[in-house]
Amino acid sequence: MVGVTGVAEQLLNGLTIGMVYVLIAAGLSVIFGVMDVINFAHGELFALGAYFAFAIVAPLGGAGFWVALVVAPLLVGVLGAVIERVTLRPLYDRNPLYHILLTFGLVLMLNDVITFFWGKQPKAFSEPSILSGPVTVLGVSNSLYSYFIIAFGAVLSFGTWWALNNTRFGLVVRAGSQDREMVRNLGINIDRYYTLVFGAGAALAAVAGIVLGAYQNVNPGMGNSVIIPAFVIVVLGGLGSFRGAVVGGLGVGIIQTLARTYVPVLEGLIVFALMIGVLLVKPEGLFGTSTGEGHGESEGELLAGRGGGVLTDRQRFGLGAVVVALLAVVPLGVEVLYSEYVLTLLTDVLIWALFALSLDFVMGYAGLVSLGHALFYGTGAYASVLVLLHFTSSAFVALAAAVVVCAAIAWVIGYLSIRVSGVYFSMITLAFAQLFYRAVFKLEWTGGSDGLFGADVLYGIGGFAMELDEIAEMVPMVSEEGLFYYFLLATVVGSYLVARQIMKAPFGSVLQSIRESERRTEFVGYDVTAYKRRAFVVSGAMAGLAGGLFAVESGFVAPSLLFWLNSGEVVVMTVLGGMGTLYGPMVGAGVYIGFEEVLASYTDQWQFFLGALFVLFVIALPRGLVSLPDKLVEAGAGGGRAGTSGGPGEAPSEEAEPLADGEVNE
Amino acid sequence: MSESSRLDAEACQNPLLDVSNIVAGYGATEVLHGVSLCVEAGEVVSLVGRNGAGKTTTLRSIVGNVVPTSGSVAFDGQDVTGLSPEETVRRNVAFVPEERRIFPDLTVAENLKVGQLGGGDTAESRDPEEVLEEFENLRDHPDRRGGALSGGEQQMLAIGRALVAGADLLLLDEPTEGLAPFVVRQVEDLVKNLNEEGIAVLLVEQNVEVALELADRHYVLDRGEIVYHGTSDQLRENEDVVDRHLGVSI
Amino acid sequence: MAVTDTADDFDPENEAVLQATELTKQFGDFVALDDVDLDVRDGEFRSVIGPNGAGKTTLFNCLTGALKPTSGTVRFRGEDVTRLPPNERVRRGMGRSFQISTVFGGLSVRENVRLAAQSVAEGKGQIPIHRKLFSPTDRFESVEARTDEVLAEIGLEERSDDYARALAHGDRRRLEIGLVLATDPELVLLDEPTAGMGSEETQRTISLVEEVLADQTMLLIEHDIDLVMNVSDTITVLNRGQVLATGTPERIAENDDVQQAYLGGVRE
Repeated sequence: MVGVTGVAEQLLNGLTIGMVYVLIAAGLSVIFGVMDVINFAHGELFALGAYFAFAIVAPLGGAGFWVALVVAPLLVGVLGAVIERVTLRPLYDRNPLYHILLTFGLVLMLNDVITFFWGKQPKAFSEPSILSGPVTVLGVSNSLYSYFIIAFGAVLSFGTWWALNNTRFGLVVRAGSQDREMVRNLGINIDRYYTLVFGAGAALAAVAGIVLGAYQNVNPGMGNSVIIPAFVIVVLGGLGSFRGAVVGGLGVGIIQTLARTYVPVLEGLIVFALMIGVLLVKPEGLFGTSTGEGHGESEGELLAGRGGGVLTDRQRFGLGAVVVALLAVVPLGVEVLYSEYVLTLLTDVLIWALFALSLDFVMGYAGLVSLGHALFYGTGAYASVLVLLHFTSSAFVALAAAVVVCAAIAWVIGYLSIRVSGVYFSMITLAFAQLFYRAVFKLEWTGGSDGLFGADVLYGIGGFAMELDEIAEMVPMVSEEGLFYYFLLATVVGSYLVARQIMKAPFGSVLQSIRESERRTEFVGYDVTAYKRRAFVVSGAMAGLAGGLFAVESGFVAPSLLFWLNSGEVVVMTVLGGMGTLYGPMVGAGVYIGFEEVLASYTDQWQFFLGALFVLFVIALPRGLVSLPDKLVEAGAGGGRAGTSGGPGEAPSEEAEPLADGEVNE
Repeated sequence: MSESSRLDAEACQNPLLDVSNIVAGYGATEVLHGVSLCVEAGEVVSLVGRNGAGKTTTLRSIVGNVVPTSGSVAFDGQDVTGLSPEETVRRNVAFVPEERRIFPDLTVAENLKVGQLGGGDTAESRDPEEVLEEFENLRDHPDRRGGALSGGEQQMLAIGRALVAGADLLLLDEPTEGLAPFVVRQVEDLVKNLNEEGIAVLLVEQNVEVALELADRHYVLDRGEIVYHGTSDQLRENEDVVDRHLGVSI
Repeated sequence: MAVTDTADDFDPENEAVLQATELTKQFGDFVALDDVDLDVRDGEFRSVIGPNGAGKTTLFNCLTGALKPTSGTVRFRGEDVTRLPPNERVRRGMGRSFQISTVFGGLSVRENVRLAAQSVAEGKGQIPIHRKLFSPTDRFESVEARTDEVLAEIGLEERSDDYARALAHGDRRRLEIGLVLATDPELVLLDEPTAGMGSEETQRTISLVEEVLADQTMLLIEHDIDLVMNVSDTITVLNRGQVLATGTPERIAENDDVQQAYLGGVRE
């Protein structure tokens, strides 16, 4: 009987967590269904709900919980509505990537707001005393509060379902998720509904935050930790499907809880594996419909950076050479003009520049928006350190291992996921990355949550290897760090030149044509899928190299290298600089880290300002920093320079093309 | 072009819909190269032409799905050029796009309800249930999913959905496309009935027979230009126009 | 001309270059193509016409590989290509153009044409992997020569360095045809090349097709029968997914069924 009650108890726990997931995923899913917005900030809205509740309960005590349950969701709902109005509205015509980027900026901002007001330490507020006792039902003992969460969540879900099916509002929302343009054609201003949907979704997430906050605790990381499972649920259930969100939410809650108790090895892994499996078999999810794009609505394209126009290629190359030359003299000034720290900072910049370059290779050229690139960065780092610890101390061998391992993994992941397109590709790469992230926690040989450290690094191969400080003694004026810096600079510049060469060669020219029009490329005779896969392999290898360089430099690795925030940051850098240019994303990495550094020296709230800046960027300068000179000249000349420098926006829109993508891919 | 003399710019004394010289397209592809037409209150006018002539684009430009790069659209004396579709439709214009575009996962009753919600401010909105009564195929199954209806039923529903909010002008895009002959008759009867109730209709058709059956005046569109304008009798007699712009030349 | 894999027993004298047999395509309950047979012979200019909804575009898509037919086969030069993806068909010599020109707007005119010529070279195994990855695109002599040739044929040499998106509509159409030409097709499939054009431009485009593609075996999908009357050797009329008639332009023009399909009985 113990076994049975045990299972029942776990089921109940799973159901409790599952119900919280349902509340989060329902809003996320409906928001996607109606507006095509993938809202990464949903997790932060959830956290904000919990913190508001904490702020209300703290002075009011036990009964404050009930006040909070009403007031906090209202506040968060209003905030959500404002966010939709101010930031998302200008972006509806654009590719969903820009929604992802924008909401990613919002994540940074909201998260910083939370730590500003409430600090980084976890907080706790308790459920009302009336719900605090344990109860025993049919021999299974559990807290009354747990039952409350399940019942309350069920009532809210049912209420949402009812509202979607029986109110004017719900009717328009459902119609809109099937054919937005037709809703407009019937005289309904659907934009007004967007604000309400976003606000309502945010309020539901806030409720989830409150009930979970009292169940566990409240901490600044709670949004980040819940958003990815929530995406898994939404994708599993089918983007835009309310029913899918409910079934998916409860299912994931139960599976996670059962796995934790009975097969701890699989905890955290099983859900992602499930999602990958479902996506590969039925990309539209369990309850999703594969109607594809609505009538007459175009996806909007990825806006590649454009350096053309103001500067000639030659001038730009010259400028690049000057920058590299300047970077090359930096170590000579250490301890004379500035501290060693400058070198540390630039080392960081160079590694991320390479990482961003690798992403641009697939995102900016082949149009593959990978949201899981930290997978390759982190895996490259782990591979290097493992080689250093167990096989040889040679940095070169370790880096080569990182490249080879990541290329192989990229081939496998590319093979599996490139057949799904658009948002689904982004989601599947995200899932793979989280799978790896979870896996390094679980595995012994990756050092679990501590990571791995203490690797000795020698430069050279076999008998001709030396430690860096030994070499430094032989070289005048340059420190050990300086030497590594030169090694890094050479590797990064070399990688850039190789990437540039590839883009000028037939292989790269095909990638660019894929970016311009996949279908046309296919009908010129190229195997588009194969080309994308190869590009993904090259990109994965480069990201692995970046990770390997980090590992060789720092001598340690930790699971956080694989965390999804890294994937988000590198996407941000790439777009910030201007994707599809190779050098743009590298500039983006420098500016991003530079800004972070400058802001951090003035204020603890640097994340907020960084996020805000990024939000502005996505709205106003989606082609990135490299397009800034052009934009300024254009503004100055009153847009008189049309013609050759016009953006691809002037090309015929998707809408005008005779075949829908779905038809080609069947 | 010999017919150009027949393109009478003053075809309407007091136009309900006045489309003047619109140029429109998608991206760099220009589809309409200057289209003018007008519809009087209570009149049925057809816009005929072959596939790809620009008929649908003309309707989409009138409604506001496509913004014309030049020219103007006026409804009831008010300029509506470049307004969003919801703003245009709220001035008592009903639009039934090609392929009907029924919401597939909503029921028949719900589809009508959405139409009702979009009613204009001055509209004499109708009761969806009353509208439903007019369609014998639909009224007995208000709970069927839109996606499960036959083509003819979907067409009826699409027209009903556009009209529940009340309308002075109905824009119909290829209502008989893909329908069996006896269903085509049903659609024809419906349009006639609506017209008798005083609703003006701009009918886009590829099937000349249907256009001649329903409309009083006809515009022939070819390659984005109006190449002929005339009454049913005139069009019937003008074999040259029919052959050259609509059918087979010998 | 291209060297392609041809079934050993293919005999261009007696067999059709393109042979569609009993092609059927269903979308759910809707039968878009119903048991369509079509033979195109070497050197022939074939047009497929039909009213809206006749299944022309579906037929085109089944022939080019954009859609897989529900049943039936497509053979090209004797080889069964029914299940081959579009790019494989192009490599075997089935070039296609698009209804609305989808040239690569962000690339130069020259780069556009070169991509197609390069595809042929890649298909013939003339581009070793290391060169494919690292040699600049303009260092492949045969590709460059072919690119120049095609640019001259379509009359766009002067504009070869301009972005394709900066071209006027007519020039863009030329480039589109150049893209097809540069894939060294043995059969050119054209999908309504004059859709959306004014009447003058239409004439110019048809002249261009005649001028540039004169020696090619062609299959042209078109709704405008006037346009194809003078240029076609044979016309196939589709209606409601079925072949209504096939014959010389004169025979087709006299066919009562065809009149009926196009005019809906107006001339009774």
